[in-house]
Amino acid sequence: MSRKEVDPITLQVIGGALHTIAKEMGHVLYRMSYSSIIRESEDLGAGLFDADCNTLCESDSTPMHIGSIPAYLRGINETLHDPWQPGDVVIHNHPYYGASHSPDIAAVAPVFYDGELVGFSANTAHHVDIGAATPGLIIDVPDVFAEGMLFKGVKLYEGGERNRALWQFIETNTRVPDQVLGDIEAQVASVELGAKRFIELLDLYGKDTVFTATQQLMAYSEAMLRKRIAEIPDGEYRAEGYLDDDGRNREQTLPVKVCVRIEGDSAEVDLTGSSPQVPTAFNVPFEGSTKVACYFAFRAILLDSATISEHVPQNEGSFRPIKVIAPLGSIFNPQYPAAAEARFNQIQRVVDCIAKALGPAIPDKVTAGCSADVSAIAYSGVRPEGNYWVFIEVNEGSYGGRPESDGPDGIEELMRNTRNNPIEDLGMHLPLICDRYELRDDVMPGAGEHRGGIGMIKVQRYLTDGFLTHESDRHEDAPWGFLGGGAGAGARVQKYNVATPDKIEELPAKVHNLRNLKGDCIAVLNACGGGYGDPLKRSPEQVREDVLDDYCTVEYAREAYGVVLNDEFKVDAAATEALRDEMRG
Amino acid sequence: MTKIGVDVGGTFTDLILESDKVACTAGGVVVHKVPSTPEDQSVGVIRGIREICDIAGVAPSDVEKVVHGTTVATNAVIEYDGAEVGMLTTRGFRDILLLARGKRPHNFSMQFDVPWQSKPLVKRRNRIPITERIMPPDGSVEVAMDENQVRAAAELFKERGVDAVIICFIFSFLNNVHEQRAKEIVEEILPDTYVSCSSEVADVIREYERFSTAAMNAFIGPRTSYYLGNLKNSLRAEGVTAEIRVMQSNGGVTTIEGGSERPVTILMSGPAGGVIGGKWAGDLSAVENLITVDIGGTSADISVVPGGSVRIMNPRDTNVGGYPILTPMIDLTTIGAGGGSVAYVDEGGAFHVGPRSAGANPGPACYGKGGLEPTVTDAQVVLGRLDAEKFLGGGVAIDPKLSIKAIEDNLCEKLRLSVEEAALGIIRVVNSNMALEIRANSVAKGIDPRDYSLVAFGGAGPLHGVELAKTVVARDVIVPPAPGINAATGLLATDTQYEFTRSVLIGISEAEQTALDDLNQELDELVGQASEALAADGVTSQERNFTRIAECRYAGQGFELRAEIADGIVDNNNKRVLIENFHEAHRCDYGHAFEHQNVEIITLRVIAAAATDRLSWPELKIGKGNNPKGAVMYTRPTTFDEGETVDTPRYDRGKLLSGQTVTGPAIIIQNDSTTLIPPDHIAEVTAFGNLRVSDKA
Repeated sequence: MSRKEVDPITLQVIGGALHTIAKEMGHVLYRMSYSSIIRESEDLGAGLFDADCNTLCESDSTPMHIGSIPAYLRGINETLHDPWQPGDVVIHNHPYYGASHSPDIAAVAPVFYDGELVGFSANTAHHVDIGAATPGLIIDVPDVFAEGMLFKGVKLYEGGERNRALWQFIETNTRVPDQVLGDIEAQVASVELGAKRFIELLDLYGKDTVFTATQQLMAYSEAMLRKRIAEIPDGEYRAEGYLDDDGRNREQTLPVKVCVRIEGDSAEVDLTGSSPQVPTAFNVPFEGSTKVACYFAFRAILLDSATISEHVPQNEGSFRPIKVIAPLGSIFNPQYPAAAEARFNQIQRVVDCIAKALGPAIPDKVTAGCSADVSAIAYSGVRPEGNYWVFIEVNEGSYGGRPESDGPDGIEELMRNTRNNPIEDLGMHLPLICDRYELRDDVMPGAGEHRGGIGMIKVQRYLTDGFLTHESDRHEDAPWGFLGGGAGAGARVQKYNVATPDKIEELPAKVHNLRNLKGDCIAVLNACGGGYGDPLKRSPEQVREDVLDDYCTVEYAREAYGVVLNDEFKVDAAATEALRDEMRG
Repeated sequence: MTKIGVDVGGTFTDLILESDKVACTAGGVVVHKVPSTPEDQSVGVIRGIREICDIAGVAPSDVEKVVHGTTVATNAVIEYDGAEVGMLTTRGFRDILLLARGKRPHNFSMQFDVPWQSKPLVKRRNRIPITERIMPPDGSVEVAMDENQVRAAAELFKERGVDAVIICFIFSFLNNVHEQRAKEIVEEILPDTYVSCSSEVADVIREYERFSTAAMNAFIGPRTSYYLGNLKNSLRAEGVTAEIRVMQSNGGVTTIEGGSERPVTILMSGPAGGVIGGKWAGDLSAVENLITVDIGGTSADISVVPGGSVRIMNPRDTNVGGYPILTPMIDLTTIGAGGGSVAYVDEGGAFHVGPRSAGANPGPACYGKGGLEPTVTDAQVVLGRLDAEKFLGGGVAIDPKLSIKAIEDNLCEKLRLSVEEAALGIIRVVNSNMALEIRANSVAKGIDPRDYSLVAFGGAGPLHGVELAKTVVARDVIVPPAPGINAATGLLATDTQYEFTRSVLIGISEAEQTALDDLNQELDELVGQASEALAADGVTSQERNFTRIAECRYAGQGFELRAEIADGIVDNNNKRVLIENFHEAHRCDYGHAFEHQNVEIITLRVIAAAATDRLSWPELKIGKGNNPKGAVMYTRPTTFDEGETVDTPRYDRGKLLSGQTVTGPAIIIQNDSTTLIPPDHIAEVTAFGNLRVSDKA
């Protein structure tokens, strides 16, 4: 680039301005929206992009969305019929043209300056229902057309003119038109605001200065990540695990294989050897999801925002050092027209396996195995008046033990970070009531010097007949322990009727449009993380505290930690020492 | 009447005394500062009150009112030093406080801390599940409460010696019968323990936020009430018989008893005093639209006050230390930008100013107390804006050479800039950080700063005010008469205020007469409660003011906004006004209203206030002329933000008279603050001692 460099002070000022714009876009989107998944869960992303689709800034909302928008933009540019013009707003969700998955619809406004297309203002948001084969979520469907409405570079506004037919089409093709239309309105307001702020920024500092600065900011983020990658010795690092099944073929587990190749200050994630694509919706769009997961893993592990004090701008630079390989026709790069909507469990496991692979090289930066899954659950039914109710809930996972601390319990982990819905708010509005929401007490988390996090249990009871689709995993392959820590515990799902609570039916992790009757209860018990480090190094006093708080039973304290408590719950030091000696062999 | 405002900050305790007994020469107002005593704030408070009475020449027994801004409740949270709390909760929901909203505090991190898990307000062992069940939407009892379990839990708490007990049942906002009955039982067994129900502390929907508020109240309760009680006794021992009031987060004051009973309401006591002080300064110049900017050593507090009324923060955002607290707080944002903010270049070559701060110790490099990194204050010193001999009234010795060295050693080479350029860069970045935050709180919320005056205070505020106003395009700048103790000023400028709320959930758009009747009854009850609270404070019925608020949202939305209910019974007409008020609030916050959607009320709120006599600042003598020579102390070269260095006269603020003007470049110095007037700007001294700075055009 021949342009003169922008000085570090102006650079910081422009960087701050971009960050603020993204934040404001995200704020408008979630505060204005209707569906609980956007307004409460903040399942969205928003930001500004240059004309080459590079991310300039993104809102600090849900990691899954962060980094996915450039692929949408490239998909739109590939499929747009008429050229961009001022006043356009395009929507797009096609998983084979860059979308993260079809319910995450992007809204994009082009930004023109002095008659020239200089960039884009865009956001993505998860919509409750886009008219797929079953309400809210899908698992066992034949192809991408069963996912519902597909938009490929379609103008919702053309030159400022509202495309009424399209709005009407959307209204007709979703089970919950009020929510979906209201949420799209909020997306439009957010991208229009972003475009306005972008132009104000260009007015204030001049186009050349702003775009030179954004190049420098990308180079900065890239350099920060490359420094950390360079600290890892060159070589191949491998890890693997497996997924329960594809939601139809229950006996067939699906391997996830990760090879991380470090060369200098670059990294390559190779997913070759992982399962071939599956015949259900349990596939992962490559551009919009597989790649994003790999970008996330490196940023979270190496530029950990809790341990480094500088704000490293969220932009294209942090993607550049990472190359991702997944063979076409595999679960991480399916071939059209395979359905690819239910992709979250798989990418969580990619992140988990990257941490596992790199663990031996950088033990102070990783965690033991996390739940690394998602429990996305769609409850639905038809109201007496004849309209649908659809509610999508995401149940928390847990983290593995960590170098300096225990794994957090019952919390959104890795690529997801949405908020749960207030039980009381839902109870006032839905024919569904929560009967239990706390930590699991049927299993223990992975033991370790730092224990794994405990998963939660949530029980929802149907107050009228209805349907259930559940997208989850990790019933079989429990989270791994690290450096001598014990393995965590797998997830499970149970069903019973409130009238016969002892007649419990164990369900698989993936359930497709299960019919439920009034009084039926669904209990989701999510996975517990693995332990980090030798459990015998955990202080007996800490183990005693865990017992007092019911994080650990007296028996488990003895069995896994070699800690003996007397009848008054005091540590029996001599017995503990003797038992630990014996256990050490 | 003699009144004292006393505000405790991290370094200094600020005081202001207003009295009709003080000699006319002093104009009836005296200000003072003493060092804070963090181990026991009341020591500094007592010393300050003793000293300010001496200075003013009034006897402690002549003081009739003391208003206090305290950080004692906040410190209990920050230091995680609170009570051992026992909690009874609905069986099946033991971990609501642990699960919180499920969202972790960092997106891109593996080693993050989760404060509500690592530092729980109630330990898990003390969260005891009780069999009981209230059902929505009508609050019917599905499972009766097992009283034996409640007794057993209370006995266990007795054995464990807990300091406080909270009772938090799911859906108690619909029906509090189980919470109340459990409270009775616990109080029988633990008659001397503070027992409270979630529906008493915050009677609102959303279990986690309600439980968290009740837990926080209990956690900080004993320490706060001990402090307030002790302060009262110490004041009495000093012969101060005055009534004592405490500033609340909402900008109103409460009694010692009120603050002890509901310490969650005073968590933002200090910053609220600052905003009220800023509003008071606006009142002095009859300006209603204000942006208050309080810049101290480590942080800056920013608040927008439109049309003369402080804004209350959206309940979604009211949290302290990561714990949500459902009590009304003045809408203000704190960012890590102040005089002590450290400037540095990171390993990737990026230049940062703050949020890391050198604090009071070691403080800026120029203090010579071992600080080697340059701070914002060092930049001001290098640019010739803070004179060594006048720094904090000459009370703190500073060495400009150390500032220069810190910048040279840490920044010049890495940034390839001269010392002066680097110093200007520090100022530019810190101003930019603050300006972005001001814009996020104004422009982003539909407020046009061109209609607003920026009130700059705090020790460092008046140095940055003009530049900030320029950047955000505010109308002009107001520098209050005593910017360094502005929060204390605010304590003498506020009203007594109480708020009462009730969860209702009424679809107002479709509400029929019976629903409106219920609504009116709820409102009457709330007004009744509020009225009693004021009566208990000795406020006569004529002096009581009530504001009735409906917190509404569009049916299906997740967040409420406040809409005022017009006076009188809520009938169809009144209902329409309310709905329109809500649309307007939505438009204002989000730039958009959904006029065809149904509106529902989630919470009713009644705010009861009684106006008190506001602090009246002595009127200045009338003077005239521009750049009055008599007020000039000396002239020195000073560098301004555009990089130009010019000989700049120093004015003594104490000698400036009403009606006089000072044209920049100029620096106006007073005991605890320095106001920078850049070239092409003019400061006007107003009758009540404000400086109003605007550009000459």
